This record gives sequence, structure tokens and C-alpha cells, in this order.
Amino acid sequence: MSSPQRRPYVVFGFASTHDALSGEAALVAAGLQLTVMPTPKTLGALCGIALRLAEEDVSLAEETLTRAGVAWSGQVRILDR
Amino acid sequence: MAESGAPATVYFDHAATSWPKPDAVLDAMRAAILDAGGNPGRGAHRLAVAASRTILEARGSVSKLLCVPEPRDLVFTAGCTEGLNLAIKGLLRPGDRVVVSSMEHNAVARPLNMLAAAGVIVDVVRADQYGRIDADVLERVVAQSRTRAVICQHASNVTGSIQPVGDLADIAHAAGALLIVDGAQGAGHMRVDIGALGADVYASSGHKGLLGPQGVGVLYLSPEIEPEELKQGGSGGNSEDPMQPRLRPDRYEAGTSNTPGIAGLGAAARYLAHNGTGIIRLERDLTARMYEGLLGIDGLRVLGPPPGEERAPVLSVVHERIECDRIAFELDRNYGIAVRAGLHCAPWAHESVGTLESGALRFGIGYGLTAEDVDFALAAMRAICG
Repeated sequence: MSSPQRRPYVVFGFASTHDALSGEAALVAAGLQLTVMPTPKTLGALCGIALRLAEEDVSLAEETLTRAGVAWSGQVRILDR
Repeated sequence: MAESGAPATVYFDHAATSWPKPDAVLDAMRAAILDAGGNPGRGAHRLAVAASRTILEARGSVSKLLCVPEPRDLVFTAGCTEGLNLAIKGLLRPGDRVVVSSMEHNAVARPLNMLAAAGVIVDVVRADQYGRIDADVLERVVAQSRTRAVICQHASNVTGSIQPVGDLADIAHAAGALLIVDGAQGAGHMRVDIGALGADVYASSGHKGLLGPQGVGVLYLSPEIEPEELKQGGSGGNSEDPMQPRLRPDRYEAGTSNTPGIAGLGAAARYLAHNGTGIIRLERDLTARMYEGLLGIDGLRVLGPPPGEERAPVLSVVHERIECDRIAFELDRNYGIAVRAGLHCAPWAHESVGTLESGALRFGIGYGLTAEDVDFALAAMRAICG
């Protein structure tokens, strides 16, 4: 069985779980698909949760989070399956 | 185990804690344990995230019910007492002056007594014979000296008096002071709009009028204030920071949260969003019915505001001959009626209305009671006091 192709994603980091899940709720309500994942070390924290979105959805995600008043602490681009 | 032949419970102790709870509360607590049993904010696996979502949803539901503009300003606590301790000890420093009503519960009185020994100046404004705080009197006391905070309950757990907290917010703010409100007997028993009320701090139990389980409470902290936290510890994030993070709500919720309790409270808030107006109306009607009946029993003095005046669903009485604990015992043993006798953790309030020596017998009216229950309790009181 061949493994799925690696695709570019952007991971949004947040200062708190409250912010991350408030962001999740706003993004889901906007129809965006996302995955909750552990915050990658490259975002400067070793715990907490982050939201992974397809790279092409980043602009809409930023717009949605800003409109919902949810600040993100950082973003990192990753290749993932 | 109940004694054989014991009568069914008729519960008139809602001012202590509500019982029974809506089924939705039990269902939510069970679901939290079964389906969201991870540690909220700790880890990213499905059960931890489910627990975090449970708390986020509950915070949103309670914020909506109490009209809190920004949910992160609503902190979950272990109860109203913890919330009041956090606010009082987190905001007052030696040399600060606080003006407080004489109707306060020990959840306010005892922290203040402790702080007074450490140099906080505590000035008490005495209530009138009905247990009401006169805003004009309080304003004059505030004006006497620089004041850091005014502390007042929303409603009395002894007399049912509703205090003019909106006016007190204006008075406090005009003097450059904060208003801290003990809402233990307010939230759920009356419509509470924290945004409109103007209080800088509003603390409430989750298990009284809000119909949630015991062991959970809520504390609103205005975004303008930064009280010191009561405890430091794990917050799930920013673990590399040696100090407690200042972000809300994490700053004030160190340690693993009471997820099942919070889930229950969230469900209760959603239940009240749909049914609260009807419950408040029913409580008001039952209180008026009970008040009228108690007034017709010889030898009883009913504490609190006169008939016709708005009050919380609390009716405390004192009999001229029979001690209140004796009446409470007979009500429970012979009629299955649960009430509370004594000082109700509020010696200041009892002293204010002249019942510090006798205590009082309190009927706390709430969710689940009916007009028939009130008539049954009145008949029992007539039989005991006759």
C-alpha cells in the first residue's frame, strides 16, 4: 500500500486552550476543515493545542479568526499527510 | 438509608443548595465522565480536547445566561466562597479601605476579618430593619474617606432583601472604588445582566439558583481589574514560564478543572436559558403565597421586606416561643419538609435584623416546588406552632 502524498499545511498556535478552541469553533462555523493537534515545538511552546489547516485556507482562516476576536500566537508551515 | 415509614422529601432548602437538579444536568455530568474524561487543556488527544470543549461550551453558556460580554472574563471556581476569596484577597492590600454591607455572609465577613487583622480598613454599613441597604447611607460612608472597594450581596440569604447593586456600582465608581457583588442568592433567582449591572466583580454559586451541581461556581472579573490569583500551578500551556500566566481564564484556574461539575453547570445554564423566566415567575408566586400564609400564623415574625416588595425566594421566620431548631426537626421528622434553622453562616445579617440570639427558620423556595407543597408546609407550620 502506498502512503498518501505529503501536502502543505499551516498550523496556527494560540496562547491558551481557550483561544485555540474558540478559534476552532469560529473556523468550523465558517465551513473550514481543520485538525486539532499538539502544538509543534517550532511554534515556541512545548504544550497546548494547535489547529492545522490546508495552506489554501489560510487567508480565510486569518480573516475568520480576526472577525471572531481570536488572536493566534504564531503560524508554521508544515508538510504532512 | 431513610427510616422506615419516613415521609417523602418536600425540599425547602434551595437557599442552601437546589434539589433536585434538571435531568439535563445529570446527563451532562455523565457524558463528561464517559465521553470527555481527559484532562482539559492538558494534551491534544481526543479525550483531553473533548474535556476542553466541554468547558469552553459551558463557559459560553453561563456567560450568555448572565450576559457576560467576554467569556474569558468568567472564571470557574469551586464555589461562590472561593470566588469571593479570590476577589477580596486578590484586590485588597493593607491600608486599603473597604465599605461593606452588614448583611454579608461569612464568605465575605471572614476574609475581611482576616484582612482587617493585616491592616485593611473595614467599614460596615448597617442595613435597616428589613435587611435592606440604603444606597444614600452607603454613599455617605464611602464619601468619608478614600475607598478601594464596596462589597455587597445581590440578595440576602437570611431576609431575601434585594440590594440596590446597580446604584451601588454608580456610587463606587464615582468615588474611584470597585464594586464586588456576592451573587450567591441572585443568579438564577432573578435575571442577572452582569454587563448592565456595572459590577467589577460578581461571584456566584453554581449549585443554588443556577441549578448546577455542588463544587462549582462562577466569578466574573471585569477586564479592567487584575486581582492576584489565589493559587498558582499548572495551566496546560506556557509551561516553560516560571510564573503564572496572566491570560484569562487560565490565570485563575490553576490545576485540573472540575470538568463534570462544569459540564453540569453548563447544561443548567442552557436549561435556564429556556426555562428560567418561568422558574423565576413561579418562585415569585410561591414566595408570595408562602409569605401570606406565614403572616397568618400566630407568634411568627417573618424577616425581610414587607409584603408586596420584591424579594428573593427566601422566607425566614422566628417564633415567639418555639425555638427554630425544634420546628425544623419536627418539619423534617414528621412531614419530610427540609428547611434550615440557625444563623445560615451569616451572623452579621442576623445581628442586623435582631435575630443573632434566636437564629431563624428559613424556607428557601425554588425549582421543583409547587403551590401544593407550599400549602402542605403552611399546614405543618400551623400544626407545630398552634
